[in-house]
Amino acid sequence: MSAGLAILAVDDEPRALADIKHLLDTSPSVDRVATATSAKEALVYLSGGRYDALFLDVHMPEIEGMALARLLRRFADPPAVVFVTGHPDAAVEAFEIQALDFLVKPVGRERLEAALDRVEAHSRPPVPVGADGPIAPSPGGGGGPDVVAVDNPKGGGKRLVRLETISIAQANGDYARIVCDDGRFLLRTPLSQLEKDWAPSGFARVHRAYLVNLTHAVELRAQLNGTAMLIMRDGTEVPVARRNVAALRRRLHA
Amino acid sequence: MQPTSGRVRVRRRTGRYGSTGMHPSGNHATPPAPAPVSVHFVNNVLAAAASYIEVEPDTARDVLASLGAFLSHRLRDRPTVPLAQELDHVGTYLRLEQARFPGRLEAELPPAGGLPAAECAPGAVQAPLADALGRWLGERTGRVHVAIRARLDGSTVDAQFDGPDDPGSTAERIRIALAARSAGAAA
Repeated sequence: MSAGLAILAVDDEPRALADIKHLLDTSPSVDRVATATSAKEALVYLSGGRYDALFLDVHMPEIEGMALARLLRRFADPPAVVFVTGHPDAAVEAFEIQALDFLVKPVGRERLEAALDRVEAHSRPPVPVGADGPIAPSPGGGGGPDVVAVDNPKGGGKRLVRLETISIAQANGDYARIVCDDGRFLLRTPLSQLEKDWAPSGFARVHRAYLVNLTHAVELRAQLNGTAMLIMRDGTEVPVARRNVAALRRRLHA
Repeated sequence: MQPTSGRVRVRRRTGRYGSTGMHPSGNHATPPAPAPVSVHFVNNVLAAAASYIEVEPDTARDVLASLGAFLSHRLRDRPTVPLAQELDHVGTYLRLEQARFPGRLEAELPPAGGLPAAECAPGAVQAPLADALGRWLGERTGRVHVAIRARLDGSTVDAQFDGPDDPGSTAERIRIALAARSAGAAA
């Protein structure tokens, strides 16, 4: 079972929410669980961070779960939706709006894990660090950009940053916070897009929230729980998700 | 407890469930239809029970026992039940809702000794009460207070809702018409 899922559970019934949170918290597939008691609260959470999936009640006051799920489809990179409901009859509508799964309360452990497996499969495929061979950064070549324009916090405007000077990009909602030789900047691009754009330049997604420039990495340190820590040359420690450790090890010949 | 605003909105429920189907002549034309049990409610009660199992096992047991009593009342093959039994069933239902929504529901039921000797279909009071209570709990975040009263002639049951945490809200009374027959009238 791989790890690293971030889940947002949404239900207006506090005990039902406590039950699903307990199940998610104790699943080996899940790293992080946030809870919301309304669709509005869920939208606040979604605006502040990335989630792999919503476990969403169908029947809620003000904004129903179905309406929220439809709204999420307009997102550029929407999380998967798994309905958790006492309404078995809502299944057809749920699948019409492309929900990933549909669980009827009370949810059993086995059924929940099956749903999480679906979420995992639906999330990004394993990171592209799986290719064997030495790191092949391609400044100016390989199809990747040489520089990237970031918001300049001093005086506004844009500042051009060379990719080779960037060590880390960290997910920050629909933005990415980048760390480079000149400081830290915010980039208005989701991490998933940077992952595609920067792969030819030697960047690899090592964690749901981190994209790293492997030419800046100096050490891969194994952790007892099967995850790892990637140490950058400036001493920064970047977590590596369990499912990415083996591929990263191969790629770094570590 | 009195409604906080002094304004009361009245809705009449005309026995969608549980009318005894009394013909104008006084003869029963059709047997009363028992109210269906909400699958949504049952599933959510089970989810609430599951949430209590590790943290409050005694509460989990009580919730399951109450759900058993709730279903027994509704699933037994009886066209009518005494109003006292139906209101006892309403009490069970309200305890289950309190388990689903801890701290949000306050309820008053009439004392069993003062109830008219009337009959109604199983669920005749609980089902329309659940419709209204679901609305009240869903539309608010604070406490909901419900007071239930039965008319002495056994013809109706009133449920009055208000929000103690929302002084500006308008109280609501639903009147559930049972068309119930008292023991004397049925003779």
